[in-house]
Amino acid sequence: MVEMNINRRQFLKLTGATAATLAIVELGFNEKEVYASSKELKIAKSTVTPTICCYCGVGCGILVHTKNNQVVYTEGDPDHPVNEGKLCSKGTTIRQLYTTEKRVLKPRYRAPGSSEWVEKDWEWMYERIAKRVKETRDASFIEKEGGIVVNKTERIASLGGAALDNEETYLLSKMMRGLGIVYLEHQARI
Amino acid sequence: MAEYAKYVDVTKCDGCRACMVSCKNWNDLPAEPEDFQGSNQSHAKVTANTWNVLSFIEHENASGNLEYLFRHSACFHCKEAACVKVCPEDAMHYSELGTVVVNDEKCVGCGYCVQNCPFDVVSLATYKDKHGKEYKKAQKCTLCTDRIEEGMQPACISVCHTGAMEFGDRDKMIQKAEKRLAEIKGKFPNAVVYNPPGVGGTQTIYVLAEKPSVYGLPENPKVPTSAVVWKDYAQPIGKMMLGATTMAVIGAYISNKIFYKEDEGDGGHE
Repeated sequence: MVEMNINRRQFLKLTGATAATLAIVELGFNEKEVYASSKELKIAKSTVTPTICCYCGVGCGILVHTKNNQVVYTEGDPDHPVNEGKLCSKGTTIRQLYTTEKRVLKPRYRAPGSSEWVEKDWEWMYERIAKRVKETRDASFIEKEGGIVVNKTERIASLGGAALDNEETYLLSKMMRGLGIVYLEHQARI
Repeated sequence: MAEYAKYVDVTKCDGCRACMVSCKNWNDLPAEPEDFQGSNQSHAKVTANTWNVLSFIEHENASGNLEYLFRHSACFHCKEAACVKVCPEDAMHYSELGTVVVNDEKCVGCGYCVQNCPFDVVSLATYKDKHGKEYKKAQKCTLCTDRIEEGMQPACISVCHTGAMEFGDRDKMIQKAEKRLAEIKGKFPNAVVYNPPGVGGTQTIYVLAEKPSVYGLPENPKVPTSAVVWKDYAQPIGKMMLGATTMAVIGAYISNKIFYKEDEGDGGHE
């Protein structure tokens, strides 16, 4: 007869393994549960960032779902007072603003008379814009009109977009008024 | 489990098409650019990659004026679905929520569901495997079964800003539809609640402003009789016959063996 040298620990391990094997063999493997966990909801574990729709002046709230630095889904923000989770067809497409191949990722400059767009860095752009604004303002500045001090320029206009929020439009209008610009327009006027 | 339904009140729809986009966005479906159809409608019909389409129907009302009739059209999720009935692979099935969904792994792309759907909302999508070989699978609206399972509303409904669509307990949605029908009867005398009994009722409850035929819907859709005959009668009988035939063949084989042996025993070697 074969002598069985089993200590307590081995005995427990063996019975445990047998029980586990039996559990799988006898009770079966829950296929449904495995299927459910393999097909995870696409926004599960995504990072949610609230934003404002940039398309029109209504200013609907949007939730952006990101995973591994990719936008996986966008939806109306149910907690936003403007749209209460609803969106129009254009606002619903906002994910494409990020995913589209047509998106311009760097500032581009087209010199006067040129048909070519050249990629430039932001520093270059800021300096260029500041220089041009100064030149135009200095050349067109009107101090007095009909004996009244006006301190304005009529050669520059400012156009604001719908993506600007309350505070940004405030700062923008302050800056423009400071420059003497009288033509201030905003897309929220629609 | 409670039965759910999508409630669509076409009289509140303003034709913004957000439901179409929302569906594409949630289900990651590719865009399908189509040529101008001659009307404001963007796509001719529901396809394998466009699971819901907002139809714009130019209708002349009783006073002879043009009336735009909008209808969010998608899979109806019939209680007795023809597509489920005809599917030979059991790929088209009812989920635990009662929605009609396709099991991609089982679908062989035979297209029986496409041919038998009374509402023409199932289509085959073409894919390519890694060797570049094309294969097809039936695709259609899932009523966002994955979202419902997580306690969320279907994507198309969550985006609707006019309240034309709602999602909830089926009985409540039917009640809501009946109540709404009474409200709009004065303005739309032909208005009906569309929940056709020929397919066992649907999980999409429509309040239509006109007769279903005006919206391009069948007045009394049914599971095709041929499908019922084939699946409920011909196939079971056929299987039985096949069993009987098999048994007969086996019986014949055994009896032949016995007789052959007897012959062999009697006749000996030639």
